[in-house]
Amino acid sequence: MQNFKNSKLFGFMILGAMVLFFYGLFKFLTPTNFGSPANLFSYFQSSIIYSVGGCGLYFIVVMGLFDFAVGANIVLSSIVGVILSEKLGYIGFIIGCLGCGTLIGILIGFLYNKLNVPSMIVTVGLMLVFESLAVFVAGGVKQTLAPELRFFSGAPGNIILAALAFALMWFILNYTRIGTYCNAIGSNEFTAKNMGIDVKKYKLIGFALLHFFVGIMAILTVSYGTTMTALTGMSTMSRNFQPLMGTFFGVAFRKYGNPISAIVIGEFIIAIIFNGFVALGAPTTIQNVVTGAALLIIVTLTARGSRGSVVK
Amino acid sequence: MSDKILLNAEHIDKQFGITHAVNDVSLTINAGEIRALIGENGSGKSTFCQMLCGIYTIGGGTFTLDGKVVNVKNQVEANNLGISIIVQEMGTLSGLSVAENIFLGHEEPFMRGLIKDTRAMIREAQRLLDEYGFKNIRAGAMIDNYNFEDRKLVEIVKATYMKPKILIVDETTTALSQNGRLELYKIMDAVRADGRSVIFISHDLGEVLEHCDTISILRDGEYIDTVKSSDVDEDSLKRLMVGRDIGTAYYRTDYGKEISGEVVLSVNGVTIPGQIEDVNFELHRGEILGFGGLSECGMHEVGKAVFGASWDRQGSVKLADGTEITSIPQAIKHSIAYASKDRDNESIILNESIRNNTVLPSLDDLAEAHILKAGKLNKFAQEFVDKMQTKMQHIHQFVSELSGGNKQKVVLARWLGKGSDILVLDSPTRGIDVKVKQAIYALMSELTAQGKSIVMISEEIPELLGMSDRILIMKDGRINGEFARSESLSEEDLIAKMV
Repeated sequence: MQNFKNSKLFGFMILGAMVLFFYGLFKFLTPTNFGSPANLFSYFQSSIIYSVGGCGLYFIVVMGLFDFAVGANIVLSSIVGVILSEKLGYIGFIIGCLGCGTLIGILIGFLYNKLNVPSMIVTVGLMLVFESLAVFVAGGVKQTLAPELRFFSGAPGNIILAALAFALMWFILNYTRIGTYCNAIGSNEFTAKNMGIDVKKYKLIGFALLHFFVGIMAILTVSYGTTMTALTGMSTMSRNFQPLMGTFFGVAFRKYGNPISAIVIGEFIIAIIFNGFVALGAPTTIQNVVTGAALLIIVTLTARGSRGSVVK
Repeated sequence: MSDKILLNAEHIDKQFGITHAVNDVSLTINAGEIRALIGENGSGKSTFCQMLCGIYTIGGGTFTLDGKVVNVKNQVEANNLGISIIVQEMGTLSGLSVAENIFLGHEEPFMRGLIKDTRAMIREAQRLLDEYGFKNIRAGAMIDNYNFEDRKLVEIVKATYMKPKILIVDETTTALSQNGRLELYKIMDAVRADGRSVIFISHDLGEVLEHCDTISILRDGEYIDTVKSSDVDEDSLKRLMVGRDIGTAYYRTDYGKEISGEVVLSVNGVTIPGQIEDVNFELHRGEILGFGGLSECGMHEVGKAVFGASWDRQGSVKLADGTEITSIPQAIKHSIAYASKDRDNESIILNESIRNNTVLPSLDDLAEAHILKAGKLNKFAQEFVDKMQTKMQHIHQFVSELSGGNKQKVVLARWLGKGSDILVLDSPTRGIDVKVKQAIYALMSELTAQGKSIVMISEEIPELLGMSDRILIMKDGRINGEFARSESLSEEDLIAKMV
């Protein structure tokens, strides 16, 4: 029984039960406005954008790090991608988003290692820099993705790209040293160092990978919304949290050995709850309160350690 | 044991600030030898070995292994040169699988370019686990699914599968049950039979004499002597370690002391699902109540249950006035103290000062109108760490820099300062040298003479026999036997109820 409770299947069963519960709840409350197959597919498509970012964040969150510059990079990479797409089409769009995203990640990782201050402080500072940079790059103008470059705006393009991102994440976690070393550093950095792991190098790789995934998220985000406007004053902060919620699911379900499916299903659950409230006509503020509360309740129920255990 | 010198340590030296942890130590170890390294806590045994395997940089001197000078930077480099270590505390990493832990830093044989052949790694790890006889451990499972002892067994595989020239076993046996210890002894014997060598650090002198060929003694960082196991006994070793005769008051010598009729704590029907079941006992004023059993018998969980640290506890823990203990803050408020077996993770805040660790539960008492004054905290901490004769530079030193015995003294100083009336001490002398042990036993006797009561959970039968007024033996989560203090009570009597 103990083995079953630690198995992947058990983890899937918990996640599946939560999907059914929330779906059933909102379907019961608002049977006509919520939960048709077409609606569910729509919720899923919107959730996978955040799932991609959630996968990226997983690499640094398991190491005990944090990144507030994710939202700023989504904006900046989207703008760079759209600008390059005007001259180079899809190639410019993809290279612009992924290249800019990854470079930003490398820069964050490099500065984090060099400055030797907490990641939260480094990324808050850089968030302000990237926001201003995005305004400068965009020339203060809203950037619109050309209609002929919107393959990733809906199915199957968005699903294919997201699936590739999930597959990449799965591959890195299971078939490279990176996944092992990120977990090892998060577990005990001192011991990891003693095992010969170059901790600084893998933290830099973690940030680079996070922002590579942010680059993918930028492709999906600007394709879905078709436009991107650069704003300053920490306005990108809110973009950090939706992917992070998926990461919380991933970290919580890591013990079952399937963080990626937990991130994807977790984001889908958040989308169901959010859209459920929309269907009920609840004001946005209430939606946010309940979505946040639902996240806390779900993660508490599924990831709660024994009383007295260390939770960071 | 051959005449070939496998390891030659010359003038090894290490200082931490003003503390001279290892002071010009020179010794040689022959091929095919099991060499014990003994000494008090803080004598420099672990530091010496940790320099050899790259956990600490070498402060001075040279290690020559098999004719080559070695100065390694980390454990992986040490492993590659034929040096492995099994550490005292947790040496495996959470969040990784068993296989990942075994091959951490040694993934190369499973790498196909940048791609890791995870299946091959798991297959090989499982083969090793099966070969060592640890078939209940699954290589593909997360290490977090296993308890402290199983994780130690994984660590043993990790440290030995590469057939190191020198295997360092640093105070590992205290974390193992009897079966686990036997497996470790077998592995040590195999290393010796293979012409390789073991450095064995332990405070259990009986174990040292039984399993080691030779014994090197360190005291205050200095090399004292190397003797053959066949030429010495426990008393002469203690003398060499401490530099004087250990008095007869090592354990209590009083028998026939009447236990007070005053019950200070009643435990009724306490159950923690899957761990302990229907545990009932009473603790009396001035009593040392010993709990013993095999490692998974549930005795450690009893300590947590009494301290309100088990969230799914059923049944009741009540004080004499009827107050029910259901949480840790409530336990502390009602004068219950707890020292965990897992000292580094559950009792001590490693990256905090001795002062802050000592004052922690007493801050409310020390505050004046919610304001804490540094002078008052310093004075308080100094008083109690001095009382415990803690070996330290100053009270602002980080606890992580102290030896195991001195960390335990900080834990005890904390509860002495709090003035707790009921002390739950889980493995109070685990990994602690004879001199500190003696001090802790003396303190326990002093406390009970003051009317304080102690629940002492111990895996060491002589300690249970030597210190307890009553002994409860647990088996499979239940109390399986009760013994009153008696000169005629033997280890066999207790073991008969444990197995």
